[in-house]
Amino acid sequence: MKGIFIAFDQAHRDDVIASLASCMQRGFTMIPDATGRGSNTGEPHLGSHAWPGTNSAIITICPDERVDTILDRLKKIDHDRPMLGLRAFVFPVEQAI
Amino acid sequence: MTLYEGAVRRPIMTTLVFVAIAIFGLFSLSKLPIDLMPDIDTNMIMVMETYAGASAEDIENNVTRPLENTLNSVNYLKHITSQSRENYAIITLEFEYGHDIDALTNDVRDKLDMVSSALPEEAGTPIIFKFSSDMIPILVLSAQARESTPALYKILDDQVANPLARIAGVGSVSVSGAAERTIYVYCDPNKLEAYGLTINGIAGIIGAENINVPGGSFDTGNKAYTLRIEGEFDDPKEMLDLVVGHRDNQLVYLRDVATVVDGVQERAQKVTTFFTNENDPKGYSGELGAMIIVQKQSGANSVAITEKVLKMLPQIQKTLPTDVTLGVIVNTSENIYATIDSLEEVIAYAMLFVALVCFLFLGRWRAVVVIVLTIPLSLVSSFIYLAIAGSSINMISLSCLSIAIGNVVDDAIVVLENVTNHIERGSDPKQAAIHGTNEVAISVVASTLTMIGVFFPLTMIPGMTGVLFRELGWMMCVIMTVSTTSALTFTPMLCSQMLRLKKRENGFSRWYDHFIVRGMLDKLDHWYSKRINWAVRHRKTMVGIIILFFILSVMPAVMGLIGTGFFPQSDSGRISVRLELPIGTRQARAEEIANELSNLWMSRWGTPEQKVLKACNFTTGQADTDNMFASMQDNGTHIISFNIALYKVNERNLKLSMYDVGNMMRKDLKKYPELVKIQVIEGGQRGMGGQTTADFEIYGYDLAYTDSLTSMMQRYMSEVRGVSQINISRPARQPEVQVDLDRGKLARYDLNTATAGAFLRSAFNGTTASYFREDGEEYDIIVRYTPEVREDVKTIENILLTSPTGSVRVRDIGEVVERETLPTIERKDRQRINTLSCVVNEDESNLGSVVNAGKDYIEELRNQGYLSGDVDIMVSGSYEDQQDSFRDLGTLGALILIIVFIVMAAQFESWSDPFIIMLVSIPFTITGVILALWITGVDLNVMSMLGCIMLIGIVVKNGIVLIDYIHLLRERGESVISAVVHAGRSRLRPVLMTTLTTILGMVPMAVGSGQGSEMWQPLGIAIIGGLLVSTMMTLVVVPSIYCIVQGFKINASRRQWANQLGVEAEWNKKKHTFRRHRRK
Repeated sequence: MKGIFIAFDQAHRDDVIASLASCMQRGFTMIPDATGRGSNTGEPHLGSHAWPGTNSAIITICPDERVDTILDRLKKIDHDRPMLGLRAFVFPVEQAI
Repeated sequence: MTLYEGAVRRPIMTTLVFVAIAIFGLFSLSKLPIDLMPDIDTNMIMVMETYAGASAEDIENNVTRPLENTLNSVNYLKHITSQSRENYAIITLEFEYGHDIDALTNDVRDKLDMVSSALPEEAGTPIIFKFSSDMIPILVLSAQARESTPALYKILDDQVANPLARIAGVGSVSVSGAAERTIYVYCDPNKLEAYGLTINGIAGIIGAENINVPGGSFDTGNKAYTLRIEGEFDDPKEMLDLVVGHRDNQLVYLRDVATVVDGVQERAQKVTTFFTNENDPKGYSGELGAMIIVQKQSGANSVAITEKVLKMLPQIQKTLPTDVTLGVIVNTSENIYATIDSLEEVIAYAMLFVALVCFLFLGRWRAVVVIVLTIPLSLVSSFIYLAIAGSSINMISLSCLSIAIGNVVDDAIVVLENVTNHIERGSDPKQAAIHGTNEVAISVVASTLTMIGVFFPLTMIPGMTGVLFRELGWMMCVIMTVSTTSALTFTPMLCSQMLRLKKRENGFSRWYDHFIVRGMLDKLDHWYSKRINWAVRHRKTMVGIIILFFILSVMPAVMGLIGTGFFPQSDSGRISVRLELPIGTRQARAEEIANELSNLWMSRWGTPEQKVLKACNFTTGQADTDNMFASMQDNGTHIISFNIALYKVNERNLKLSMYDVGNMMRKDLKKYPELVKIQVIEGGQRGMGGQTTADFEIYGYDLAYTDSLTSMMQRYMSEVRGVSQINISRPARQPEVQVDLDRGKLARYDLNTATAGAFLRSAFNGTTASYFREDGEEYDIIVRYTPEVREDVKTIENILLTSPTGSVRVRDIGEVVERETLPTIERKDRQRINTLSCVVNEDESNLGSVVNAGKDYIEELRNQGYLSGDVDIMVSGSYEDQQDSFRDLGTLGALILIIVFIVMAAQFESWSDPFIIMLVSIPFTITGVILALWITGVDLNVMSMLGCIMLIGIVVKNGIVLIDYIHLLRERGESVISAVVHAGRSRLRPVLMTTLTTILGMVPMAVGSGQGSEMWQPLGIAIIGGLLVSTMMTLVVVPSIYCIVQGFKINASRRQWANQLGVEAEWNKKKHTFRRHRRK
């Protein structure tokens, strides 16, 4: 079991959910309005006057073998619209109930 | 889910909501009446009180004064004016604008009830009219007849005037020019004397003979009969055989002492109407006939009434004898329709221009559609408001639409621009629409709030200006609210549906990118960023330049090159001319002159080739006393009044305006030295788009003294440049023959003043003996002296007064003397007044300078001691209205400035930023307006003032956009100067685009030449001038001043930090190094 934390520009929201679905990944938790900025590049999404853009974040827990497919699809979304921004981070899940 | 998210996710609902608004709007539009102006003339009530037999001065003392004193306490009364004339008084109450006239009428009625006991016993019941007799007729009809001529008056009065007067909103219908059939029994005084008869005796005999007497009924056998004596005459000639007395056992017949004439009234108004006629070799034709004048009540809708009247005419025509034909001479609604049509054209052009600007800047038809769709939606919604408020489609509401066109797209443009940005960054259109709108929503709402901050106070102006602009204020508020709502819902929805992620490349888009974007817009951006870069680095020079520019640009105003006026004069195609010959001139001479003038004018302007005058109609002669409305107007044998209708402005072949024609008429009239008074009135009432007059009111009880003051003033004013005509309200004294009776002598013959007076009256005025009945109509039979005898003053002296104790001639018991009396005494605010009104020729001068010339002279008179006690001269007329309006608009301007400041300060959370914006944009708006007015030669009047006020809201918007973006860049960490330069460069296009849409939306207004365009031209010119200069200044000067203010702020905060850190000494030492460093 792996967890994936996906932070992305709100505009990607429908695409991200669609790509999860297309990988048979049913479960996820979404934080619709998230703010933040990247460590290296990209515009900050702070929801402020200066940086009005906002993000959404999704945490999804999936079987190990599905991680690569999901990441591939997310990478494609990011690649298509590089100006918006999408990042995903994978972490191990030790236990679940 | 936010508003815009909902709208984007539910496109069908959003579309249908706006479709519903559009349908309601169009439905309301179909129900809206049309008028020239919002209801503005609802402020006059006229009270008429008769007191038969009293002279003007008696009326003034006994009737006018008590009425005035009581009516003076009615609420909201602005002025009370009165005319005391022989037999009656007319009191006109002028109220403050904007109050319910029906409630006021009730108040007036209550007051009249209170005062009725204080009036003389013989005085009649006061009558209230909800209109003012000064109001111009809305419709003038002509009636021609052949066989029915003798009965024409009766026919018109019963069958035309009465049904028309029943139409709701019609104030009065009066018939003139149709003489009433009257049967005169003309007695020879010498013969009467010889046979010992009197006028009254003959009248009594005629009355006793012209009678049917029922004698009861009786039964004979099976039948019942009624008994009757039929003595009524079947033919007036029968009267000649009446026995009127005996002399030496001989019967004296009426034919022995009198003649019977079956004719028309001796004194009657004659009406001649000239029309353009293509079939006539002269190009025009004229004929005698009757005239029917329709006046409306205060506040009634002219167009609606005219339509109802015109609709009724064919029905009425059917009831008339076949030889009587009705026609229309003057129809006010034509002018109103033409004005509305030309405004609709202005609106159509404005929409086209706005669409073109959008296309130029956006280059994509889809984007243009998204934006342009907002225009009809927001405009149509205002019709719903108009329908609810019971208003109409009029010049103000349509001008308002025209002004709004350029502004309603602004919000949509901002939203579209941001959504496009998001799409270009790669967002899906739907997501881009939601998030793009979300980001700008607050600033869109804020800029709408500033606009509402400007327009809402317009709804609170008092006075006449208030009535005009209240509607405009509300409409703009409604339109702005709807346009903002649409920009936040409908526009993002459309964006999500219509915009594409990838632009399709085609020939046009390549051409557009090459020529417009790279060839023009990019170069402009580049050029501007260089200028702004220079400006922010040479701030002191900039401040110097703008102060210099400001001083130079206000010079035209300081030097008095800008005229002031009240309302622009517009060409309504109506001229009325009133001419007075010396009192006592015969009607025939008046007619001769009138015919000469009509022929001259019609041949010069009235033929089908020239097509300027459409109809020229004149009335001469004295009105019959029982024609109340005609007799309320000044009339007399020496007066000629013309009613002239012109073709619509765009139909005229000779390009002459109403004012050109009026001025040429004045020149023609000056060639007639016998005309003692000349009055040419262009247009309708004073004020609203009619003639501009500078009125001087001369108050004072002493008639002779105020007369001499008036003539002094008249002499002076006639020399003033720009005064084309001077009218004096006090009429000339009328010659009168009076009989001073000796009461002692009267008593000796058993007579008194009443009996002696009755003899005189029946001799000259005649006695109505009876009525001649024919075909169900009654005609007066009047017995009086023959006309030849009545022409001689000696006849009066020779009148024989008989009494039981003998008979005596007038010369033996009294003296016949000639005197002069004043036919009318006018009062205003309970003081005697004489008004001198100077008609201003706007081509030569303006209201302001004429009034100033008059004021100087009044001051001179005051210094010389002419004005003392109750004698005073005041300025009124258009000038008073203008001053009231300017004061109201000035207060409003101040109020609006405060509100706009509040909105901006709240948005920026700063004291200094709104101050910078207003410091730059407001003064340069004023200079822009001044320059525009100076160049175009237009006066500063209510319309251009309104333009200035609206500009406050429009011009600060540019500053808001700029400062807002500078803030954003500063928050992103840029330095002051670089933020200013970058923000300028990036905001240049949106600023230019919104400004150009507003300016080009105004261009059709400013250059239009249709009917009524004079009215809105000043508004368009003021807005274009102010916005142009202010935008240019905002783009260059706001950045500089922003840098200066920020410089102070940064220095202050550095000093504060230094204080806190305890290194003040260090700071002071190195201050110069820091500054030098910064300069590099």
